[in-house]
Amino acid sequence: MSEASAHAIDHHEPVTSTGIPNKKVLMWAFLGSDCMFFGTLISTHLIYRKISATVGGNFLDIRDIFDIELTSFSTFILLASSLFMALAVSAIHKGNLNSTRWMLFGTIVFGAIFLACQVYEFTHFVHAPGNELTLSSYRGEPHVFGSTFYVLTGTHGTHVAIGVFWLIGWLIYSFTGKMSTADAMDIECCGLYWHFVDIVWILIFPVVYLMEYAF
Amino acid sequence: MKILFTKLQTKYFIIFPALILFFGGCSRIDHKQSALDPKGLVSQNQYDIFMLSVWITIFLFCAVGGCLLYVLWKYRAKTPEEAMEVPPQSHGNSKVEVSLIIASTVILVILAIPTLQGVVLMNRVPDPNDASTLEKLDLNRSAIDNAITVNVTGKRFFWVFEYPQYGIVTANELVFPTSRAVRINLRTEDVIHSFWLPKLAGKMDLMPGQENFLWFIADQDKIITRTDDNGNKIKTSIDEAMPSVFNGQMRERIFAKQKFTDEFEAVGGLFYGQCAEYCGNSHAYMSFRALAQTDEDFDSWVKKFQNAQNPNLQPSSYNPENEYNKGSLVSFPDKSLGDSDVREFRAVKTISKGQAPNLAKKEWVKANSDDYEKGKKLFSSLQCVQCHAINRTGLGSKGPNLTLFGIRTSLAAGWMRNDEENLVKWLKNSNDVKFGNLMWNGEGVDDTHPLRNLENEDEKVNQLVTYLLGLK
Amino acid sequence: MATESLKYLNPDSETEVKTKVFPRPGQNTKGIINWLTTIDHKKIGIMYGMAALFFLILGGLEALLIRSQLWNHNMDVLTNREYNQMFTMHGTTMVFLVIMPLSAAFFNFIMPLQIGARDVAFPRMNTLSLWCFIAGGIVLNLSWFFTGGSPAIGWFGYAPLTDTRFAEVLGDMGPDFWIFSLQILGLASLLASFNFITTIINMRAPGMTMMRLPVFTWMTLIVSFLIILAFPAITIALVELMFDRTYGTNFYDFLEGGKPHLWQHLFWIFGHPEVYILILPAMGIVSEIIPVFSRKPLFGYGLIIFSGAIIGFMGFAVWSHHMFTTGMGIVATSAFSILTMLIAIPTGVKIFNWIGTMWGGRIRFETPMLFALGFITMFMVGGFTGIMHSSVPIDAQHQDSYFVVAHFHYVLIGGALFGLFAGFYFWLPKLTGKMLNEKLGKFVFTLMFIGFNLTFFPMHYLGMIGQPRRTHSYNEGHGFETWNQIATIGAFILGVGIVIGVYQFVTAAFNKKLKPAGKNPWDARTLEWTLSSPVKEYNFARTPIIKARDQAWENNYGPEENHSQKEPLDDHGVHMPDRSWYPLITGLGFLGLVLGMLFHQSVDVNTGEIIRNYTPAIAGGVVAILGIIMWAIEGPAGYHLFPKEDEE
Repeated sequence: MSEASAHAIDHHEPVTSTGIPNKKVLMWAFLGSDCMFFGTLISTHLIYRKISATVGGNFLDIRDIFDIELTSFSTFILLASSLFMALAVSAIHKGNLNSTRWMLFGTIVFGAIFLACQVYEFTHFVHAPGNELTLSSYRGEPHVFGSTFYVLTGTHGTHVAIGVFWLIGWLIYSFTGKMSTADAMDIECCGLYWHFVDIVWILIFPVVYLMEYAF
Repeated sequence: MKILFTKLQTKYFIIFPALILFFGGCSRIDHKQSALDPKGLVSQNQYDIFMLSVWITIFLFCAVGGCLLYVLWKYRAKTPEEAMEVPPQSHGNSKVEVSLIIASTVILVILAIPTLQGVVLMNRVPDPNDASTLEKLDLNRSAIDNAITVNVTGKRFFWVFEYPQYGIVTANELVFPTSRAVRINLRTEDVIHSFWLPKLAGKMDLMPGQENFLWFIADQDKIITRTDDNGNKIKTSIDEAMPSVFNGQMRERIFAKQKFTDEFEAVGGLFYGQCAEYCGNSHAYMSFRALAQTDEDFDSWVKKFQNAQNPNLQPSSYNPENEYNKGSLVSFPDKSLGDSDVREFRAVKTISKGQAPNLAKKEWVKANSDDYEKGKKLFSSLQCVQCHAINRTGLGSKGPNLTLFGIRTSLAAGWMRNDEENLVKWLKNSNDVKFGNLMWNGEGVDDTHPLRNLENEDEKVNQLVTYLLGLK
Repeated sequence: MATESLKYLNPDSETEVKTKVFPRPGQNTKGIINWLTTIDHKKIGIMYGMAALFFLILGGLEALLIRSQLWNHNMDVLTNREYNQMFTMHGTTMVFLVIMPLSAAFFNFIMPLQIGARDVAFPRMNTLSLWCFIAGGIVLNLSWFFTGGSPAIGWFGYAPLTDTRFAEVLGDMGPDFWIFSLQILGLASLLASFNFITTIINMRAPGMTMMRLPVFTWMTLIVSFLIILAFPAITIALVELMFDRTYGTNFYDFLEGGKPHLWQHLFWIFGHPEVYILILPAMGIVSEIIPVFSRKPLFGYGLIIFSGAIIGFMGFAVWSHHMFTTGMGIVATSAFSILTMLIAIPTGVKIFNWIGTMWGGRIRFETPMLFALGFITMFMVGGFTGIMHSSVPIDAQHQDSYFVVAHFHYVLIGGALFGLFAGFYFWLPKLTGKMLNEKLGKFVFTLMFIGFNLTFFPMHYLGMIGQPRRTHSYNEGHGFETWNQIATIGAFILGVGIVIGVYQFVTAAFNKKLKPAGKNPWDARTLEWTLSSPVKEYNFARTPIIKARDQAWENNYGPEENHSQKEPLDDHGVHMPDRSWYPLITGLGFLGLVLGMLFHQSVDVNTGEIIRNYTPAIAGGVVAILGIIMWAIEGPAGYHLFPKEDEE
């Protein structure tokens, strides 16, 4: 989008030492860093795995609160959105504006469905009668699972939301009539981000929802 | 180390070796809390490895620094013309580089081996069945078999010492026998603290939600050896170095022989420790003492403490149905103190049933002075008792346990000498002595609290002091 | 500035301004707006440096207060809480607001010149990281004025002391300020590092292969990677702490299931690489200076680079040596002990190679070289005590004693700060075009060297005889007094030295008495010395084509085939991106967001319930997001300059 203001002066991407555009190097560096962000969060969650298995001194399977069907569905939706994203990138490379627009739209919709599932899940957990999971407690007892769960999945949700807004920005831009193959690289960076966020979810899903919380 | 004189820049170099000599030459190493003066097996091991590393690094510093000096001297540009010359542009020499890397690896191995042995020694009391290790460490099997255990609990800003084998609790002064290993279990109830006893054991943190471990065994020979003013090592007697704690001799000896501020303690059995992990406002004031004892003295001290904290041995109210032996203590109302007040009486001879304490008959005498009894009452009425336990273990108390306070050597978590003068100062305004301390600033203490209004109550303070120091 | 060459027929040097709101300042903007909207890496470097020098003085004053309090036993200069605030602020300031931004100043100013680039890859992002850094500095120091004053938790902020449960002042806001300022400073460091990585990887001049990069640029690259990989750990740790304090989560609350140990691990996974983030730039600077003043190339260039990378890599594997006394067990402590010893080897390699560089050279003792030699000797002392600490039994006595204080000040002042001062004396002529006063420089070095050693050498001994760290007072009779007094005197001497040095740097640009520097006053070796001093706005009139390492030296003394060439001038001149308001606006947005978050909680007087009001925070966030959107829309734009062929 930064190439938006077509200018009297030509702004061809400068030739770089590696041949990779600057923005792409930036995006890869950012994703490397982001790996460490999620790595830290996932480690925190795993470290507390054993503590999460007890409530007020009693052992229990905390996964009982999960609705695995719903989460599997939203996982599938998020993965499917990656396909749309890949198609959008491919379309803009070919200069097919209409197809790009639709694929972006698809990605946004699927991303939004995922977010909606997460919002539903969060509100459901907080208010589940007899099973309330809040940031600081589970079933009214002080507990650490709520802390790690909400902060980890919430951070991921924030990433998805940022991605959705970014994509909406592109979608709006596509209606200004300025979009061209020159923007392919920028959309590709966006795609890199989107795929990364998906891959992280593939890691978070088993670690949080499937893995056993036990000694 | 580094004296450089060039014709151009004579004055800009610093005399480094002189500094080192100056710093190294005129300092004693046997200060109160010095890690350079180890008095136990574990700290000796730590010291030995430290000295090994010191010699290694001095060697390296001289070698590398000497090389540097030589290069700077040999290749200095002597004239402005020479400074513009172009020397041969060599880019490196892989043989030199590889051999230096190998050499430094070898040096590290020299340090790594004792390090790994030291790690094991610090973390594990040697197995009493492992005769060869015991022999290598010069330890008696009985020292391990009879090891005592102390559960240390850190609180802001003092220490609780619980002896689970004996069922007693004290605070801020750790009494231990020299002939036996001491296992220390470290816990905390608030933030992180660190138990640092430099002359005996190094340090270990007290982590919330986790129990850490440390052990030490003192070396009696080292304790009774001290360095005199001329730097000679002299042996003192066991009695002189480790006066008994239980009968107050330790306290007397320390107070008699030296000022609190004396730099080099004559009493070798007195050790200083300190909290070494930042734990809040008064972290600096969180120190403690460790007092070394012979076996007999330690046992006597334990016995005395057990009796003091045994609820069954506390003076009971006088019961006319009982017969009392000579020396028995009872509590009985005494109008001279106050309308509803009781005081302790001691039987002078065996007392038959129904002989209520009556001073006129000379069968019972007052066990304590009036001031003591009044102080005892104040201790409750001024709400001291809400935080301090006396003559009970009181593990949950907010403040230090004050059982047998009269034989303690120090006050306010090892910060001051425990004598009358200091205790008065402390009671009148502890915030002046130890700013931010919880006795003055803790939860529920405000300007209306009686404790904060003792400034001009000389009489009350003196009664309290008489009571507290009378606990022995 | 633009000199029209006959070659250009139709120069349009001023571009048309498109945006209505916050119109872009034009090419010839002067004065304060020029500085507020600049995207020039050199100006940004200067602002980084100035702000960091200011914080150096501030942090130094805090240090002097600390030293005054320790002059004698039971002193009353500061209360215990004030003292604890001082050492917290001193540590945080010196690490995050002095050494890191001073390094960033050099990265900004020098690195693009060394690789033959006209700017960094993302100039506006570079400006944003500057404003984020300044916002972080402001937030941290604002803490003095609010409930509880500055944080009194130590720069390491160990849980659970940071928990509201253990606050010693009701409603203490200090730790919150600390958390949020570190977050925004982390953002600044991350943005800058992404930028430097992209720049070094992608914007090297033709022929500037990775193995021809100057060592300082290499260290910039390694440090940038360390930052992007290490800062996430502290960011998440701080997020978790923020949630603990504000929303009652239990990450570090041991009474409700959390583990304070976790904080220490996360903090030191960041904290140990941070140590190398602080020292590697100084090593890079010294690796530039020693060859210049020995007139020889760096001995074992490849090995120095490789050992720098190894240090950076291993820096992630030794964090637990800060935690030997926390009861991690025999296996973990032994493993981290051995790994820590191993990291000494690449560090030693660097020292050997610096000596090897001087071997057979023609050594001149000018101020930069003196500071570099001071760096080597004192870094050696700090390194050796570091080896001692790698041994667990020794550490059991040293941990949290003054010995450790001595150790890391030898590394961070004797090492990092001396290296950075060497950099100032070395590169300021390039920046201002004037030589600094050599005599005054040597005087500053003498004061700093004496003062520094007087302050910190006795601390080794103090630590060994039992003085614990972070204690605001000590009792009589420990024998601490004499050596603390010597240290305090030394600290004041060091302070005077630093103040004179800073004065010299700050006035260098205005001092009319100083001699002009010319292109290459030191007969130095790397590419930036082929440019005029001060450097022109566009750095290189024509992009150089690099033929060798140490290009400036090769141009003067090397064989003909090693002389650099230049790309021909092209018809539309040198493209310069436009100045922009949006980095500043985005930065202000972040500041608003942070302040909004800091003050979002209040307590209802009647019910005692917590009221949360996010409006200011959201407003700040919206400003930041709008800033970014407008930034994206305005694009780099730009204007063209037409320098003559050799005008650079």
